[in-house]
Amino acid sequence: MSGESRSPNAELGLLDATMIGAGIFVLTGLAAEIAGPAAILVFALNGIVTTFTGLSYAELAASIPKSGGGYAFVREIFDDLASFVMGWMLWFAYMIAGGLYALGFAPNFLELLHVYGVVPPPGQVGAVALPVVDAGIPLAFLLAFVAVLALVALNAVSTAASGSAETVFTIIKVSILVVFVGFGLASPMFSGAEFQPLFPAGGGAFAILPAMGLTFIAFEGYDLITTVTEEVQNPRENIPKAIFVSLGATVVVYLAVVTVAIGTLGSGGLAEAGEAGIAAAATSFMPTGLPVIRNGGALIVFGAVFSTLTALNAVVIASSRVAFSMGREGQLLPSVGQLHHRYGTPFVAILASAVVMLGSVALPTQSAGNMASLFFLLSFIIVNVAVIRLRRERPDMYRPYEMPLYPLPPLIGVVLNLVLTVVLVEFLIRTDPLALGLSAGWIALGGVAYVVLRRLRGRTGRTASAGTEPGSDTEMSPEVDD
Amino acid sequence: MTSDRNVIIAGGGRVGFQTAEILADRGHDVTIIERDENVVAEIADEWVATVIQGDASNPEIIEQADVDRADAVAALTGDSGLNLAVCLAASELAPGVRTVVRIDRAAGESYTRFVDAVLFPERAGARVAANEVLGSDVQTLADVTGDLNIILVRIAEGAPAAGRQLAEVRLPDGALIVSDANGERIARSNTTLTAGRQYVVAIEPNVADEVMNLLQG
Repeated sequence: MSGESRSPNAELGLLDATMIGAGIFVLTGLAAEIAGPAAILVFALNGIVTTFTGLSYAELAASIPKSGGGYAFVREIFDDLASFVMGWMLWFAYMIAGGLYALGFAPNFLELLHVYGVVPPPGQVGAVALPVVDAGIPLAFLLAFVAVLALVALNAVSTAASGSAETVFTIIKVSILVVFVGFGLASPMFSGAEFQPLFPAGGGAFAILPAMGLTFIAFEGYDLITTVTEEVQNPRENIPKAIFVSLGATVVVYLAVVTVAIGTLGSGGLAEAGEAGIAAAATSFMPTGLPVIRNGGALIVFGAVFSTLTALNAVVIASSRVAFSMGREGQLLPSVGQLHHRYGTPFVAILASAVVMLGSVALPTQSAGNMASLFFLLSFIIVNVAVIRLRRERPDMYRPYEMPLYPLPPLIGVVLNLVLTVVLVEFLIRTDPLALGLSAGWIALGGVAYVVLRRLRGRTGRTASAGTEPGSDTEMSPEVDD
Repeated sequence: MTSDRNVIIAGGGRVGFQTAEILADRGHDVTIIERDENVVAEIADEWVATVIQGDASNPEIIEQADVDRADAVAALTGDSGLNLAVCLAASELAPGVRTVVRIDRAAGESYTRFVDAVLFPERAGARVAANEVLGSDVQTLADVTGDLNIILVRIAEGAPAAGRQLAEVRLPDGALIVSDANGERIARSNTTLTAGRQYVVAIEPNVADEVMNLLQG
């Protein structure tokens, strides 16, 4: 019997800033490429922008006890179409984020292999050896593809990977980043001169806006917190605390890491290292000749590999949960909202998410970052509007946590997220029409899906309501008593 | 049709809150309307339902509970008159909604002209108590002393487990299919879960929603 059964859905811990690390490892180099040393400002400002939405999440999550993240909150107050749009966009954001982390994983993994001399340097600084690049790109793509495939398969057949090790993972990741910051600050390579001039030549202060759009995704961890929470003790204190602690910790860690990365390697070097920027910075200053791991930089590279993999795992779960919730609500095909009879996992939801995720691995990393950020920005706008709407339409709803200075935070949140969205779209029009086209395509596909599903539902809904009386198929005796 | 129902419960006292907890365990969305500020805070700490603070007979409050989208309204306060008023107002605001009213004396039949189901918790409790006192072999299906629920479940058409043998279906720990479809035999590994038939199932509350998903889709 015990071999055939399994544990009920594992609960994820509350203090899981699951996203901490992955975004910073993957996106610092790309942010430095756009904004130069001002990348430090990019992360600081994004932290501020996202705080306003964090307040909205705290208020909603404390008063609406549903796991399902932003989608569940919006579903609570908005009509069918608006909540569908929210779920559709959030689902996509997580799937593309999956592609992004897979794309971040691959070069860092190659770097790790390179540190131990298993493979040639992956596009080393100023690489001229074209054959290396030629051989490296397909290999990295293959690695990213395999990583997604493996984690999808794992989560499709087992709930083990959604276990409670997240807190341990977070501690490991943060510890590695603290080591990085410590050695970096102590290193003779660290120099304030790297921050002069702060803004890239010609771009001016506004050059940092597109970089903010690109790296926004590094801060979306609190949607994950609210996606996975199932059992919470004392929600009025713990949910806001979890959100603010993880947000605060994320900002502090990111700023320290970016400061060190720019101070040691310089924004130029970071930009060239791309997705492996932090890893490249680390190998430049970490002590070598250590026992066992030999090169101290390997620890940081390992941190990058570990962070991107755990983040990938988290978004595989998160994306399937959004799809699963939509299926439960009848906003996607009902089969998406069903557990697999043998594995107990949201099997169809995971497979559906896997298709887009595997496809997104073919994108350039920057496009994936841009698209994921764009859709998180859009969904955060809706979440902020949901707070305002709930306050207006349900003034008597009990709110264990009420944000201070309402209605300013959600209004500022809407405006700032909107500004970043507009900047990002404008930036995409100029530099990345592919990402913009795919984004528009996804929204158009959503429109088609909505209409088709509505038709389908209308048909089955009529036959079902004619045949069965609600509540008659689960009887709890005594059901009605005289 | 969605399988998770939206349920409004008027009255977050003992009956109302326990009902909310059971429904939430099974994955349904519950909104509780409660007047007493202290009770509201207690319910919120349990984090099982959204809470509207106010008088359930006030149509404005019922609307805030989103009665338009609700599948069922259960008026479970200790006041029969108030309960009936809540259900009548709810039916007026949302004609299709299923209404359940709690009453405090055995005069239920006449109420069913206005509501879908009538509940008399004291009588239900008394029936269980009588069973326990007699200690008979035949027990009414009901909550056992602890948290375990014994439930009669009809397998839904198209549910993940429908049409499959028990050996193929891996239920979570804390769930057990007790009977076969006719209720004549204890379920064996070759028992088939046929859609449309009823099975006795024993479930611990923390896996109830998972099991319901498998059996009901």
